[in-house]
Amino acid sequence: MIYNEVYDKRYHKVKSCIALENDHVVSTYMGQAVPPTYTEGITLAEYMSDSQKGLECFIDFVNHLNEQASIDCINFGYPGGHQGALTISWWSKIKMPGKEMPPDSVWQVEEKKMVEDSDYDVILKEKNTSSVTARILPQIIDQEALDRFFNFYGKEFAGVMCRYVKEGYPVLNCGLLCPPFETLCGGRSMNAFFMDCYKQLDKIKAVQDIMMEGIRQQIASLPTEDYIIGCWVGGWRGASNMVNRKIWDTLVWPYMKETALLLIKRGITPIMHLDACWDRDIERFSELPAKKIILNTDGMTDLRNARKILGNHAALMGDVPSQMLTVSSKEEIKDYVRRLLDDIGPKGTFITAGCDAPSCSKYENLLAIHEAAQEY
Amino acid sequence: MGKIKELLVELNEEQLIDLVEKELNQGVSPEEILEECQKGMNEIGDLFSKGEMFVSDLMMSGNLFKQVSGELIMPHLGANTSLGDSGKVVLGTVKDDIHDIGKDIVHTVLSAAGFEVIDLGVDVPEEEFVKAVKRHDAKVVGLSCLLASCYQSILNTVEAFKAAGIRDDIKIIIGGGPVDEHVVTYSGADAYGATAQDTVNYCKEVLGNDI
Repeated sequence: MIYNEVYDKRYHKVKSCIALENDHVVSTYMGQAVPPTYTEGITLAEYMSDSQKGLECFIDFVNHLNEQASIDCINFGYPGGHQGALTISWWSKIKMPGKEMPPDSVWQVEEKKMVEDSDYDVILKEKNTSSVTARILPQIIDQEALDRFFNFYGKEFAGVMCRYVKEGYPVLNCGLLCPPFETLCGGRSMNAFFMDCYKQLDKIKAVQDIMMEGIRQQIASLPTEDYIIGCWVGGWRGASNMVNRKIWDTLVWPYMKETALLLIKRGITPIMHLDACWDRDIERFSELPAKKIILNTDGMTDLRNARKILGNHAALMGDVPSQMLTVSSKEEIKDYVRRLLDDIGPKGTFITAGCDAPSCSKYENLLAIHEAAQEY
Repeated sequence: MGKIKELLVELNEEQLIDLVEKELNQGVSPEEILEECQKGMNEIGDLFSKGEMFVSDLMMSGNLFKQVSGELIMPHLGANTSLGDSGKVVLGTVKDDIHDIGKDIVHTVLSAAGFEVIDLGVDVPEEEFVKAVKRHDAKVVGLSCLLASCYQSILNTVEAFKAAGIRDDIKIIIGGGPVDEHVVTYSGADAYGATAQDTVNYCKEVLGNDI
């Protein structure tokens, strides 16, 4: 036993699922913005800005679901310091509830061209991104939000993780790593960045090579406590349906692969958060060590095909689509989950909402995911 | 002719521009060159639908098309010339949603296919869609939405058309990452476009053009 009986039991279930040795599907909660929707007396804005209040709201909500259908683990926990994490990862302004958005409207990325044409040369010349980020960040985030981010992932982090442990919930993602392709795409804006990828591919690659050093340092500094299970490695603009094979082979996959390999070397499971459709290149994930990764998809990648191609090489996590959580019926959700499990099997499968459950998800639909997993 | 279409499909910017400039200088009709480019865009849309081209290719081709048609061809045509007369489409991202990338891609491919696009931007209140349809007598409305929390805005927009008494006069197609047939049913729209090319094909069908 490493922590407490409930946590340890679930922790071993999670670990055995990553190793594709589990017998039962792992019921996984994902819904960062949902809890205040179903909690009286707290707006989404308060939930996001007050991390103590927000964390309690998050845990109460998960506990409430868990009383009705067992939850084995949490994919991504309470989004404390979220504004800072997203801003730093995407070099984009995040419009927040209670500030630029109404108090109960979900945060949104405002994508503008923050990275100037000349910034690539600055990064290449200085061999780091310091000057560029020093110019961009004050334009897209205020110091208070940045402080909140550093505080949450610094001083508060261990206490937050211990809170999950006490409640008995392993949290799969204990950090967030954004490949350079995604960061540049956010900072440059998608249209301009994609054009850069056609017109100056070699230069972008050289810039990404420099940015990758920052990711290596981030990975080296990740904590190593037993509750650290995995780390989010994001991919959305670099999805297979988004970019052609040359761009993917040159600017997307090498960096995702290295990030995953470095995490594995540190004993941390890379949780490849794959938004959009990755069908074309799903086989490439077999280049990573067997039974060491989780592919977390959002309903657009064909998990049946992924299981067929990858077999027992990788655990899969997904993928009840957000639109179903919002507008479908409870029975439709259960049917979706059952059919998915019939086809891909429970071994190496974490069942959860695709990407992230929207704040307006129906409560009964979220519950239906966990009920279906429990009944299976 | 044919080479221009080929170069556009290959996304060969340098040779495409060279060839268009050369043909214009040699007196080839700008209308013919434009038509060739539009055929190229159509083929790119088909390849995209088949999974043989990707979003980045679509964006690159859209930029090339804009560059060639706007900077090279249009100056040779009359001041009031449009890229085509396929029909009018009112387009916008629904209220409370500020995402514009998907909408902009649809705008580009619709324009390339000869549609006049009335783009209302992002975070568009339902009454603005109604006003635009009335003002421009458009028969198709494209609603973009990237947030599940904004499905209500789609529904409200559809309802606003009903309240204005013009719902039966128009077709409403919705699109965006989390949009599918479930959202069509929920909102009372007519169709959804999984890709930008789906929207082009739908508009052609509704407005009586050949697909």
